[in-house]
Amino acid sequence: MSINAPLPDADVIIVGCGPSGMAAAVELAEAGCSVIVLDMQPTPGGQIFRNLEANLCDTSLAGQSLLAALGPAYRAGADLIQRFRACSRIDYRPQTTVWEVRPDGTVGWLQGMNVGYVRGRQVLLAHGAMERPVPFPGWTLPGVMTAGAVQTLLKAGHLKPSGRIVLAGTGPLLLLLANQLHQLGVKPALVGRTDRLSDSVRAMRHLRPGGLVLLVKGLGWLGRLKLAGVKSVTGLENLAADGAQSVESVSFTVGGKRQTLPCDLLIVHDGIVPAIDIPNAAGLRLQWDGPNASWRPATTPDGLGASTLPPEMSAGPCVLRVTGDARKIGGADAAMAHGRVAAQAILAALDHGAGPSAEALRAVDKALSVRPFLDAAFPPGLAQDLPDDDTIVCRCEELTAGDLRAKIRSGFRNMDALRGETRCGMGPCQGRNCMVTAARLLQDETRAAGCLPTFRGRPPIRPIPLGAVARLSGLAPRATIRLTLEDKPENASEDTVDAPAE
Amino acid sequence: MNESLTRPAFAYSSGLQPGPKMFSDLAPLTDAVTLSVDGQPVRARAGETVAACLLRAGVPYNRLTPVSGAPRLPYCMIGHCFECLVEIDGIGNRQACLTLVRDGMKVRRQDGAPPALEPSVP
Ligand code: FES
Repeated sequence: MSINAPLPDADVIIVGCGPSGMAAAVELAEAGCSVIVLDMQPTPGGQIFRNLEANLCDTSLAGQSLLAALGPAYRAGADLIQRFRACSRIDYRPQTTVWEVRPDGTVGWLQGMNVGYVRGRQVLLAHGAMERPVPFPGWTLPGVMTAGAVQTLLKAGHLKPSGRIVLAGTGPLLLLLANQLHQLGVKPALVGRTDRLSDSVRAMRHLRPGGLVLLVKGLGWLGRLKLAGVKSVTGLENLAADGAQSVESVSFTVGGKRQTLPCDLLIVHDGIVPAIDIPNAAGLRLQWDGPNASWRPATTPDGLGASTLPPEMSAGPCVLRVTGDARKIGGADAAMAHGRVAAQAILAALDHGAGPSAEALRAVDKALSVRPFLDAAFPPGLAQDLPDDDTIVCRCEELTAGDLRAKIRSGFRNMDALRGETRCGMGPCQGRNCMVTAARLLQDETRAAGCLPTFRGRPPIRPIPLGAVARLSGLAPRATIRLTLEDKPENASEDTVDAPAE
Repeated sequence: MNESLTRPAFAYSSGLQPGPKMFSDLAPLTDAVTLSVDGQPVRARAGETVAACLLRAGVPYNRLTPVSGAPRLPYCMIGHCFECLVEIDGIGNRQACLTLVRDGMKVRRQDGAPPALEPSVP
């Protein structure tokens, strides 16, 4: 660590402006802290409340029917967004991508063609979730999109899908979207679920009072789709999309029978998982969350992350905390509740207050109590089996499962060696869509056990235009922590180097 | 530009011959701006993303991959998958799903990897 630590730009930097990031920002700002909130999207709300402010102001007939279709859970974010906007201590920076988070509180950002670093006394990662990657034959074809993508187009593009639409996969979002589409006059040709009745039966023993409401809601969705005559199947397997230049048909197996349907738009969803790109690159320890079949950062209940970096790099007044769906999938209510908990923990670290209140912690537990039921009712389906040799795993570099299996068999038996050899995970998405499958293939081929291995995350975790790098601002090179090159064997004798000079 | 023997399986065309129409408007476009996509004017709703605009226009792809020349369209719409890369105002590899439309914006679809140094739009 440097002797002359630079003055921080804010007490707290929050990455992400969804329910958890907003709730934490408001809690911190109202307690007198200065907060910088960095978010990729143009307006506050995260994906769940995407474009809510504008949609609430839209008084047209179409606007009203969109709001009605999106339902009360969407409008529920209005209050928090309003409080967030009203806080003068919050320096909100929309359309800003984060490409590095360092353990000393330094955060690299990109906005348009401007790039720089800001420093916080504390950092809170509230960057949310992503949809589970689902490699199946044809998933790279134009005309295959995720359910979240289609919902975003509804909320922020006022576009609804048209033509022959098939929804396939599992999870509440798939059913919710099918219902929203139906309410907007769009009738899908099929809702094909990978979950089965036996999953629902097994889930029942996890049902808690809070889950009952969800259950009723879900049954209502199913009932309405049925009434509307939307064809639906459960136990769907072996999904494949076919077409020359875009999707023309989808095939799948149900009850041992292969079926094919003509299709223009295949909407897939296999549940959501924490986005681990930032925690992984920041050196936070990840753990495998069995019930959700995903990685999540290892954290204490108040969101404190566990560093994997050597103590000289991670010791210091700043610690990294993780909140919301980025910490544990729980939905908007759990995210808002945990955002408050994390904020109260940060306040204690900044010598204001006594840490999370019992009431705030209870609210998190209550909101998360429905998860075991949902996890059991909607187990991963599309991504359950490892893909066949011909299926693309790495969309960016167009590598198939067969390519990766062959390289693993020929001796590239750890994630970084595999990445270096094949470029899997080196494309623009930096492994977001392939890492989990590559790790599962590796574990399968090497018969290894334990937590799935990850690629080592290195900044920038998102591409930065060269022209923008030339204008890098805000980094005091002498004051920054050292960067490690420990994963580069050729540098074994010299395991740290100074950060880039001016 | 990145021509290899294996490509292109799918010929790049600067025309906007529509693909299958996958999306339609909830309501007629009011408050529209005009951008150019491969030199052709395309109308967009103010405040929406370039990716939404391309999907409304029904372009068959926004990029051809650098490896095999396969066509791609936006997949996740929230900035994770990087399938939506296009050239915007002369700078390649921008995420269309994170970029808001602006009147007069020049969007070009990408054929393989974009040239690293020279902007291709003056
Ligand atoms: S569509 Fe996935 S990053 Fe833009």
